[in-house]
Amino acid sequence: MAVAERLVVERASKTFSGGELTVFADLDLAVRDQESVCVLGPSGCGKTTLLRAMHGLVGLDEGRIVVDGSVVLRPRSNVAMVFQHFGLMPWKSVTANVAYGLELAGVARQEIAERVTRYVELVGLKGFERSYPHTLSGGMQQRVGLARALAMEPDILLMDEPFGSLDAQTREILQITGVRGGRAPATMVFITHSIEEAIALGDRIVVLSARPARIRETISVDIPRPRTVASVVAHPRFVELRDRCWRLLRERTA
Amino acid sequence: MTVGEAQRAAGTRAGALAAARRRRLRLDLGDWGVRIGSVLFVLAVWEFVAPRFNPLIIRPPTHIFRAFGELIANGELQEALGQSLREFSGGLVIALTLGILLGIASGRYRFVYNAIDPLVSALYSVPSVALVPLIAVAFKFQGDAPRIATVALFAIFPILINTQQGVRNVDRGLLEVAKAFNTSERRLWTDVIIPSAVPFLLAGVRLAIGRALIGMIVSEFLVGLVGLGYLIIVYENVFRIDRMFVPVIVVATMGIVLMGLVQWIEGRVAPWTRREQ
Repeated sequence: MAVAERLVVERASKTFSGGELTVFADLDLAVRDQESVCVLGPSGCGKTTLLRAMHGLVGLDEGRIVVDGSVVLRPRSNVAMVFQHFGLMPWKSVTANVAYGLELAGVARQEIAERVTRYVELVGLKGFERSYPHTLSGGMQQRVGLARALAMEPDILLMDEPFGSLDAQTREILQITGVRGGRAPATMVFITHSIEEAIALGDRIVVLSARPARIRETISVDIPRPRTVASVVAHPRFVELRDRCWRLLRERTA
Repeated sequence: MTVGEAQRAAGTRAGALAAARRRRLRLDLGDWGVRIGSVLFVLAVWEFVAPRFNPLIIRPPTHIFRAFGELIANGELQEALGQSLREFSGGLVIALTLGILLGIASGRYRFVYNAIDPLVSALYSVPSVALVPLIAVAFKFQGDAPRIATVALFAIFPILINTQQGVRNVDRGLLEVAKAFNTSERRLWTDVIIPSAVPFLLAGVRLAIGRALIGMIVSEFLVGLVGLGYLIIVYENVFRIDRMFVPVIVVATMGIVLMGLVQWIEGRVAPWTRREQ
């Protein structure tokens, strides 16, 4: 029996500047239920555009993206996104920023208060509920953005180059969300350019080529969970996986 | 680092932030010392130098201070100030109302922008003073209306243009976030567009206050001689320079107090824009 596919990208193409700049072309990708997929690619290869298309924030020129059997035309309530630029509103406190998506989704006030408390604590920002983003460090702001997405209790979480080397804590949070009283998203898609991160977080790594992006190769990460960047680096399979990703990213031609 | 450790680290960070606030407060006190010291120094030099010159041209601060008492005692200052404040506040309220409405509309709708931009550019590039006689004629020199209209004309442009820029310059990243969480048009305005335009608007108001005061005095010179402007002209004509300075100082104080008030409001409603200096 085939494993259920939650998010499918079918022959997707996207161009900018009136067709002169092709960011990706004829891209196929399927993310299964309960799976974490890391999309790894050189910078400027259209990873972010692909993720935005997955959430219906930009349209495709060709092909389509299907989530849970229906074509994505606009953002869906069971999908949440963490932005590379954090996207926090400077005029809203941590609480109000985390509550933002829930308010728009029409969740009852009592439920919003409970979830905000739970997820703010989960990302380690208890005590900062009334702080404003400009008083927080970059890593803390990032975790506010993560709490805002997790509080939606989405089925699918889309994260855009969320960590870099910024915040090791964020990684850990994602791996323990389910255990710590939160509801972890079943399916996750990460966009990153860090190979170590991809190996630590992904069940599979999809390596993209430079623009126009195509899938170079899909690599299954056969290192047992739970993993952290620290434990992954020590695993005997790590060096081989890393070198393979590294070579794929370097090669100019397929 | 475990989450527990991180939470403790976060607690320490809250302490560090409080310490930074205390440091900033101490710095503020130092800043104020220098500001007040500088004013006192100028006043002292003035007091010392003034008696060496013709009293028709310059009078020492102590004489001006005495003149202050005289003008309050005979009621002239209160009456003039009341008159001027009526014009100033009436004009500023009109400028705020029209400026904010037109600023938002032109920032949001291309049609409104194209419709008003040539007019705004034209009126803003003409020195507003040149239009005062026209306003006086248009309002037939009657009552406070021409002066209120002059204040409004002087004050409206920075408010309108800044509000427009604020609405147009909304962070695209935040618009995307709003879209990603399926915002409604109404919530887009209340959550994103208006809050991000507020600091621009308040900066415009600060500029507008200075211009409104100019409009107020100029219109009092040119249309009907009343208020603080009248006091300046009348005491200049009789060479009572000490008394002439009284309304000048009152206008300066109005400017300082009102701009300080707006700056304080900026700090309260938009603390993220406050720059460390």
